[in-house]
Amino acid sequence: MDNKDLTLTLGPAAEFNRPLVLTPGQDLFGFILNHVGRALLFLITCSSVLAVLLILFFVIVRSVPFLTDYSIADFLAGKAWHPTSDTPAFGGLTIIVGSLYVSLAALVFAVPLGIMAAVFLSDIVSWKIRNVVKPIVEILAAIPSVAYGFFAVLVLAPWMQKHFGFSTGTNALNAALILAVMALPTIISVAEDAISALGRELREASYGLGATRMETILKVVLPAAHSGIIAAVVLGMMRAIGETMVVWMASGNATQIPHPWWDLSQSIRTMTATIAGEMGEAPEGSSHRSALFAVGVLLLIMTFVLNIVSEYFLSRAKKNLGRS
Amino acid sequence: MKLTTRATLDKLFTGVTGLSIVLLSLVLIAVLGPMVYRGSSAVLFNGTVEFRKMQRELFNRGDEKELEGEIAQTETFRQGVYAKIDAFKRGIDIDAMSDRVRQINREYGKELRYKNTPTEEYTELRSRSRDIRDILEETFESQDIALIEDNVMEVLQAAQDPNFLGTCAEEYFTIARNFLAAAKQVDLSRYHEYVAALEEVELLLFGSNEHNGLLGPRPEEPTRAMARVRYGATRSDQMRELLDRFLVAEQWVPAEGTDSLVKVRTPRVEQFEGTSLASLFPYVEENIEKLLNPRFTFYWQFFVDDNVNSHYFGGVGPEILGTVFITVLGMVFVVPLGVIAAAYLVECSSDGWIIRLIRMCINTLAGVPSIVFGLFGLAFFVLFLFPLLGFEQKPCILAASLTLALLTLPVMIRASEEAIRTVPQSYKEGSLALGASRFRTFMTVILPAALPGILTGVILSLSRVAGETAPILFTGAVSLGPVPKSMFDPTRTLSYGSYDMAVGDRLAMMVPHNQYGMVVTLIMLILILNAMAIVLRSRVFKKLKGH
Repeated sequence: MDNKDLTLTLGPAAEFNRPLVLTPGQDLFGFILNHVGRALLFLITCSSVLAVLLILFFVIVRSVPFLTDYSIADFLAGKAWHPTSDTPAFGGLTIIVGSLYVSLAALVFAVPLGIMAAVFLSDIVSWKIRNVVKPIVEILAAIPSVAYGFFAVLVLAPWMQKHFGFSTGTNALNAALILAVMALPTIISVAEDAISALGRELREASYGLGATRMETILKVVLPAAHSGIIAAVVLGMMRAIGETMVVWMASGNATQIPHPWWDLSQSIRTMTATIAGEMGEAPEGSSHRSALFAVGVLLLIMTFVLNIVSEYFLSRAKKNLGRS
Repeated sequence: MKLTTRATLDKLFTGVTGLSIVLLSLVLIAVLGPMVYRGSSAVLFNGTVEFRKMQRELFNRGDEKELEGEIAQTETFRQGVYAKIDAFKRGIDIDAMSDRVRQINREYGKELRYKNTPTEEYTELRSRSRDIRDILEETFESQDIALIEDNVMEVLQAAQDPNFLGTCAEEYFTIARNFLAAAKQVDLSRYHEYVAALEEVELLLFGSNEHNGLLGPRPEEPTRAMARVRYGATRSDQMRELLDRFLVAEQWVPAEGTDSLVKVRTPRVEQFEGTSLASLFPYVEENIEKLLNPRFTFYWQFFVDDNVNSHYFGGVGPEILGTVFITVLGMVFVVPLGVIAAAYLVECSSDGWIIRLIRMCINTLAGVPSIVFGLFGLAFFVLFLFPLLGFEQKPCILAASLTLALLTLPVMIRASEEAIRTVPQSYKEGSLALGASRFRTFMTVILPAALPGILTGVILSLSRVAGETAPILFTGAVSLGPVPKSMFDPTRTLSYGSYDMAVGDRLAMMVPHNQYGMVVTLIMLILILNAMAIVLRSRVFKKLKGH
């Protein structure tokens, strides 16, 4: 009782006489402040949740007119994309295939290189050299996509046209190469984290059995880190599929499915490039505009799925680590 | 397997992985090298007198007296060019000469009437004048040098006639003499070729209303409407290129036996072989430095100037301003949000399902493609929120900033979270043990200690935001337009400008230095921000290691 009186009469200087935890009865103001403050902080923290919900809501709402007027099956499987003709057709298959095609092609280039670089950084070089090499990867990650696109259009495209004899320099190969470079930093850093998180024991056990470094890495380290590496690949895929400027500038923007399928020298068009390129011409309230929002919804769904897959593999990698 | 093979394979493996890093470095050099090399020539180059004229007239820059002296100096050498062309033209420009002769005829008639010449004399003189005109016109059309000589002689017989002396008709004889002199040198059967070739030469030297010439318009020519064609070659690389085109004519002619065209280069001097104009080409080639006076220029104002005629001249000032404006405004929104969210996640939360949901949302937000952010910014800020709040419904800086703030929120939260987590637990415990409340502990102990780390995050977010293009495509970026007055105007940015100059703007292809200059400015801005972040981070690392 004495303590309480002192607190009330002496003010801040008496803070030290207080018991550390006050009941609401003892300090109602402090209690309310504490909880209101926490609630406020919580609400602010929820802004990211709110952002995700708002994005989902507004992109979906804008695409509703299209989804009700046209059949979704046609949208997903139709090949004809003529948004501005008299009888508009919104067959998204070519652009969906285009997005996947160019991203997978990028991964073909990026994954082996990325994993090798990750292994090199985590297992082969010393800490000092690693600190010299790491900025290269960081600079590659920092260069903005529009600069990569600029490079693709004005440097790489003429070069490829001249040396490989392609009919056009802005094609799937160009976009895939640049996307590979852009996905590399993601793949390298996530894979490197996964590989170096494995710890010394596993490696030392392998060396102790007489394995060389190559055998240790290929037969012990990489299999043990496979979850993290898969997560790295998926994240790289996510980066590639969501990239806009590079594919818009470098892929040639021709709505066609490459034929034969392995011919990378043909122009293709992706979902992101379609949105970026046609939004300016699509009048407000037209079905063209809502079709573009529908493409956005599709992109969102794809990245959500990839996100969940990567989260799954990342959490599995963490769990594996906990067990070993 | 043998031990030696295993050892060799092991070495090989090491080499291959090392090769991947070498490849990465090569990629980095291949990407940055050409762009930085060409982009740097936007700022460092050899500027000619034309460049300084342009700077003086368009940007009111440079010393007028000095420039006047320089112009006078180059003009003395240019007079030689003008004189040579005019001399050649006198013999070759038949249309102009015919016009002039007809004009003289009319003027002479007027002059006679003015002098009140008696009717008979008037009629006689008019008919003589007409005869001379007709003979001259016939002469101009002729390609037979003997006939020309005879005709000119016939005309010149009248030269001493007192009726013509001291009148405007005297000019007949000057024209006739000049034409004879020129005709003796020129192969008149190739007259049409000469006319076409001369036109091309003049176009290359003086330009037109569409094209730039090597020397720029002649002093007596009226000022051209477009600023970009008012000047000659402003840079030495441009000068070299135009000089090459001036000296050597390139033609695409069908190759023998095939449909394809092949490029044939012929020295232009050959087109004028044996004429008085042939000496023009060596003259220009030898005196090119004196004609244009190129000297090393450090054009730092590239980062300040507005552009002229869609990036033909000038710099990227408004683009830099727009980029900085959008990014800083975006940071104003995202930094408090990010730091508070991170503080809550680290300090207040228990690992419940709500926190897991929040974390998942943060990860999802980080994975949303940037173009979808653009769609969202358009649908939410521009089309929904702004009209609701009574603002004008158009893309603007505020919408772009808010969209970018959202885009970079996960980056900011993660960076701040990491920064707060790296503050040693002992700091917090010490403060709490001294009786400070949790709020006060956070504000006075943890936040200051985490500040460098948070700042690193801020800088990294800045660099990410500065380079983003897709989210601002529909929310606030324009390729050309006035400098924004408030945050409710759209703006030019470096990122969108780079896109536009690479793909959209055809004029930009003629000025690759400005094209590359734009993108290199963007890259440099971002690399500087990143370098700052790296330095800051290493200092934080060292400081925390000390404890």
